[in-house]
Amino acid sequence: MTLEKFDLIYKDNRCKIKDKEKILSKLKAILGEENVSTKEIDLIAYSKDSTLITLIWRIQGKLAALPDFITWPENNDQIVQTLKLANEEKIPVIPYGEGSGVVGGAIPVYGGIIIDMKKFNKVLEINDKDLTVTVQTGINGMNLERYLNAKGYTCGHIPQSIYMSSVGGWIAHRAAGQFSTKYGKIEDIVLGLEVILPQGEIIELKTIIRAATGPQFDKLFIGGEGTLGIVTKATLKIWPSPEKRELISFAFPTIEDSLEAIRNILRNQIYPAVIRIYDASETVRHFPQVKEAKDKVMAVFVCEGNERLVNLEGIITREKCEDNNGVNCGEEPVEHWFETRFRVTETSLIPPYKIVIDTIEVSVMWEHAAELYHLVLDSVKKVKGILYITAHASHFYPNGVGFYFSFAGVATGGKSNFEFYQECWDVIMDGCVKAGGSIAHHHGIGINRARWMEKEWGKALRSLIDIKNLLDPNNILNPGKTYFPPEKGGAK
Amino acid sequence: MSIFEQLKKYKYIIPIITNADRDVKRIILKSFRLKKKFFYPQGEYKADVKNLINCMLCLKMCRFDCNSLQGAKTERVAPAYKSLIGYYLSVGKIDPSKEENKDFINLMYECCNCENCKIWCPFDFSVVSLLETVRDDINDKGLTPNYIKEQIEKLNKTHTIEDTNIFKTYEEKVIANVESDGNDDVFYYIGCETMKYPEVVKGNIEILKKAGIKFSTNLDKRWCCGAPLFNTRHLDLAKEYAKQNIDLITGSGAKLVVTDCPGCADTLLNRYEKIGFKSKVKVIHILQLFKQLIEENKLILKNQIPEEFKNVVYHDPCLMSRNLNVISEPREVLKKIPGLNLLEPICNEKYTHCCGYSGTLHWANNDLAVKISQNRVNELIETGANIIVTACPLCELGLEKGIEENNKKKIKIIDLTELIAKVI
Repeated sequence: MTLEKFDLIYKDNRCKIKDKEKILSKLKAILGEENVSTKEIDLIAYSKDSTLITLIWRIQGKLAALPDFITWPENNDQIVQTLKLANEEKIPVIPYGEGSGVVGGAIPVYGGIIIDMKKFNKVLEINDKDLTVTVQTGINGMNLERYLNAKGYTCGHIPQSIYMSSVGGWIAHRAAGQFSTKYGKIEDIVLGLEVILPQGEIIELKTIIRAATGPQFDKLFIGGEGTLGIVTKATLKIWPSPEKRELISFAFPTIEDSLEAIRNILRNQIYPAVIRIYDASETVRHFPQVKEAKDKVMAVFVCEGNERLVNLEGIITREKCEDNNGVNCGEEPVEHWFETRFRVTETSLIPPYKIVIDTIEVSVMWEHAAELYHLVLDSVKKVKGILYITAHASHFYPNGVGFYFSFAGVATGGKSNFEFYQECWDVIMDGCVKAGGSIAHHHGIGINRARWMEKEWGKALRSLIDIKNLLDPNNILNPGKTYFPPEKGGAK
Repeated sequence: MSIFEQLKKYKYIIPIITNADRDVKRIILKSFRLKKKFFYPQGEYKADVKNLINCMLCLKMCRFDCNSLQGAKTERVAPAYKSLIGYYLSVGKIDPSKEENKDFINLMYECCNCENCKIWCPFDFSVVSLLETVRDDINDKGLTPNYIKEQIEKLNKTHTIEDTNIFKTYEEKVIANVESDGNDDVFYYIGCETMKYPEVVKGNIEILKKAGIKFSTNLDKRWCCGAPLFNTRHLDLAKEYAKQNIDLITGSGAKLVVTDCPGCADTLLNRYEKIGFKSKVKVIHILQLFKQLIEENKLILKNQIPEEFKNVVYHDPCLMSRNLNVISEPREVLKKIPGLNLLEPICNEKYTHCCGYSGTLHWANNDLAVKISQNRVNELIETGANIIVTACPLCELGLEKGIEENNKKKIKIIDLTELIAKVI
């Protein structure tokens, strides 16, 4: 067995499957021979997602976790029957899209059955009058956006992971894209869903523009992280391709100036599609060529849409930046951002030096925005082994902001990489809670934040767990995450 | 990315490390010093380990456009996963010599060489270029898969990848062979696969004759260009093929080689050079010559295209659009055909998708090659065309399988030459 040569990180509380052969033959009867595998080459392929600590494990020849069966359903009935089997046998089921998650949401911590949704990849309908597209949720984000662009539309949801994430993943982890200030986050974009509940019931949350029909059940699944149901179909908003795009950039003396400029832009109901600020440490990393931005905070804006509106948005955006000590840096920094925004090489180049890296996004109301930024930076700098802690902000609202911290460091004093990694996470989560922020803006909870859910939700977490237990009494759907950390859960 | 660009990009790291505390600096310096000891194979190897690591840890922008992944719909064939397994085979984490690990070896051949990944790669390489270096080590260890050995045996026996030397079937296919008198203008270099489409070869010969070009085909002396030897990494044997082909071309006296196969063009032009054989004669795809002949009024497209061939979609062969950069020429020729309506698929030109039949994939996993072909056929059908036109015999072969599997009898595939033949 080749697998025996690989160390497992999550190896406790694995589900006990008495008769693997029996389950395998039942799965084959449900899904067909070609849609089930227990081959080592497939099990290793689904042992991971894109959580950055797993990159160090990968080069060291360690596996984050190991599933027992991989399945590739082609229709709803196959998912329904698989879930029923999993409930009968009390085997965990882990929905899998493109594996782009960075908080461990798709890692099979207790083993079990992976349901890979890649065969649910069809665009079912574009409705030009309603401006909607209906898709199966396994479709890759970029393949959807490319298809829409060719037909003259955009979904407006462009996360940095778009080339490697699926619509199902966007919905499960409540994603936000780079153009979200104008087009909204995924919860603003989804208008209808089809979901298969943990015990195999198919429900349709019909496509509506808005309704006052009691509690809005759909919101449970947008951010459900694959624990409450498997979303199989979604209707999303689309937009005609923008008529005009204007690129603006300003350098600010301090983070406070930049935040103040943006707060005032949004207060005036101006919504540039893209707004990003980079603190001084990130500005030197991403914009070393911009002389005016040396030691400053760079802000980039993209206004797009109707030409006359874009012109006006441009005027007001510049005005508010100038009012807050901003220095106009022209279009070039934004063009540079467009060229480099997906070309990330650090995740490949850094792990071979055993340097631990990660990014953590949080959100906060304007009142405490600057305080949170400084508190997190100051706390992380005190962690032994830290090399750098920097931040940018890429999601803004009239009422608050999402910060995105990046850290790097090495484990010292006998600590393992994983212990150092968790320490950095805890310090950032703690700073965020102390400053009154929310612990996750758009990556979700998964494994990495699960131990902070009680601090985030307080007593309300109990109600959330009650809902989980009601929908999934056998706790088969993506267990060991979101509500509890892996070490506190396990097979029932 | 050049070293200069890399230094510029990562300059910000220097003060970060300089300002780190002593313990941290010590650990980092040790990691720098011992990186190879920790993470590289021991002993001799040919695998490009540095870039396998870059690929396997990457955030994988290429995967959405990887024809293998989009065909198979499983993480097993994802580009970065192939590199991860290539790395584990190279460092011995997965023992390539064990029979139980055959699946892992096979994965190194499950790539259709389309090189779509290279377009999106932040490091500017294609995954197949990395897999090829792993295949080198597999060959050196005597672990070459049987399906590859079978191809090499055929090449040794017939000098083509067919059971008999396919060039010598010209008589039964009623193809006129033109032997060189050593004083030709053009060498018409017919691809092995094109020999399976006699109408294309005959069409090309007719057009060359009508244009008054002095050319030869030399079918009695022809060998394969050797492309499969490059894909399977039998480079010593490839050198023999390069020498034979270059000698044959040189002996014809031709100043220009025209070929009907983008794979042959790429091999003669680019791959021979990599093993130290550079042809002094210019090599182009035959369509590039036809475009020129049309412009010079030596090839006149005078007749209306028959109704059933009116709505055509052009499929860019990967090698033709990405490696040879021949994108506008076929379109310009098509647009000159009277009455023809040219349609374009969403993924075209340098973003074209593969027919599935290139590289080693169809030997290692024919089912996947067919799935890739089916995907491409569906994209082409979506344009509303009833004719797929291409300029590569391998694409024609591959897409035919997809048409057959999709049972889309309404759509036909033909070579551009055949369309030209209908209007001259």
